[in-house]
Amino acid sequence: MRQLLKFFSSLKLTVALLSLSMALIFFGTLDQVEYGIWHTQKLYFESFLAVWAYPEAWAAYDQLFWLRIPMPGGYLLGGLLLINLVTAHITRFKLTLNKSGIFLIHFGLILLLVSELLTDVFSKESQMPVDEGGRSNYSQEYRANELVLIDRSQADFDTVHSIPVAMLKPGKTVIVPDSPLSIRTVSYYPNAQIGRAQQGAAPIKSPADQGVATKMGIVVTPAKVTYAENAINTATAYIEVLSPQGSLGTWLVSNVIDDRFPPQLLSLGEQSWEIALRLKRHYYPFEIELIDFSHEKYPGTEIPFNFSSEVMVHHNDSTKNQKALIYMNHPMRYEGLTFYQASFANDDRTSIFQVVRNPGWALPYISVLLMGLGMLVQFGMHFFKFLRKRASV
Amino acid sequence: MTAKMQRFQKNLRQQSIFFLAGLIALSLTGCEKAQPVSYQIPKKEQVVQTPGPLSTPTVASTEAAPAMQVLPGMQQAANEAGEIGYTTPENWVEKPASGIRKANFIITSDTGSAEVTVLTFPGDVGGRLANINRWRGQIGLEDATAEDLPAYTQGYEIDGHRGLFIRLEGETQSILGALLPFHGNTWFFKMLGDSATVLNHETSMKQFLDSIKMEAHSH
Repeated sequence: MRQLLKFFSSLKLTVALLSLSMALIFFGTLDQVEYGIWHTQKLYFESFLAVWAYPEAWAAYDQLFWLRIPMPGGYLLGGLLLINLVTAHITRFKLTLNKSGIFLIHFGLILLLVSELLTDVFSKESQMPVDEGGRSNYSQEYRANELVLIDRSQADFDTVHSIPVAMLKPGKTVIVPDSPLSIRTVSYYPNAQIGRAQQGAAPIKSPADQGVATKMGIVVTPAKVTYAENAINTATAYIEVLSPQGSLGTWLVSNVIDDRFPPQLLSLGEQSWEIALRLKRHYYPFEIELIDFSHEKYPGTEIPFNFSSEVMVHHNDSTKNQKALIYMNHPMRYEGLTFYQASFANDDRTSIFQVVRNPGWALPYISVLLMGLGMLVQFGMHFFKFLRKRASV
Repeated sequence: MTAKMQRFQKNLRQQSIFFLAGLIALSLTGCEKAQPVSYQIPKKEQVVQTPGPLSTPTVASTEAAPAMQVLPGMQQAANEAGEIGYTTPENWVEKPASGIRKANFIITSDTGSAEVTVLTFPGDVGGRLANINRWRGQIGLEDATAEDLPAYTQGYEIDGHRGLFIRLEGETQSILGALLPFHGNTWFFKMLGDSATVLNHETSMKQFLDSIKMEAHSH
């Protein structure tokens, strides 16, 4: 136990971990060229083990294609650094007035590491597009999809049964909660080309016998997953719907078969549902109305100078209604969510907000404050000591 | 050191251990599990245009548009895009326009055959590079990068509007084509077929492009 504590609290471990972190950042940066920031972050920093592979685009790939370098991922390094710092405090450091500055700096650092973990685990990012004069009560994630069955039979509300696409494994059956139905995944493609059947072209044979695929002759060609920052993967699946009486048929669903198409319906006796695969949605107990979006450019150029969205929030509880102006670096914080001005579309008639839920958003500010304060105390003490020494000479 | 100080340090140690254990527990339970859920939403569905994914506000609005796929719903848009006038070059056999095709020709020669199609879609349909790469894929070529574009494209005026002439040589099949952004739509003129036939017909393809008259409703 003593040995173990000694190992975990040693300064050598700190140095080794910091060096490994630098290597991780280096290789992560190399891979960012190929995978973009989002995927690289998942591969290298939100993981315990990362493996770097020799990039296809580099010279001599034919000889070096086998080259793989495994390295500890961000979670492992961050976790070990945290343990290192905390055990060092338990075993080696003594809290004295002289060291209070260092304690503050270290505590700030611990808080920063913890807040990173909290952010990774709990924060959720999605986007909410709103048209001028329109309202929206949901946001959607561009990198996550869901299979939904929507029951619209009630007069004042709709019931959404949502199944994350992670559960769509070919051949697997999933019970649709609170309904008599279950679904069986025939096939699932994280990205695909969807088009009309043309003579000559023979993509995979369609197993669909219901809905839009048969009515409009739509065919699917599986495609490579894209990690480009401004592209959406066309998640697509063939889903068989099962009732207690047997199969109801197989539908083609895809996130490009959206509101522009008539809903795909399935029915069992009196009841009916809409089936769709769509970008994962988050609904809120309030609506955001976009009153006005303005977009200023630098004179004579197309370079944006400022964007701002004037919004009105209509909450189910009208005492919480509020007006806000959202612009760059000036988000709206509301009900634990932060709305940033992210983008715009449709000739400046649609504003797109980045909606972030991050319960730990304040922690990095506090930790940086603590570290700054710690440095001030530590260096201040040395400074005054120095002044006193000089005065005595 | 006073007894009080020692007790404080011991407390601190104990608390740190609990803190550490808590963190580890947190990191183990934190991973979200994929689970089906049901929930209710108010009846009124918001109708919002599907916009592009996140792009930083520093880019011009055209780049905020997502890489759009050609969908069956585009038929109506194609119908609304107006018509074109043209002269059919020699040896080209015109087929009736069908579906989203605005014009359709077949060329046959000793070396093989080729097909010429004219299509139009709203927007930029994913941009110049994406479309050229789509064509490259059709004749078995690797995707190209934006830097490579000048090697096989050249500016080309069609009915007084700035377009792009594209020449793609594949192993057995080749493409001669042109892109023309026009009144919010993109027009695609494409000759695809056996390499020898296609490359021999560059002059007649350019003749065809030169004969085109755009007729927009908004003129």
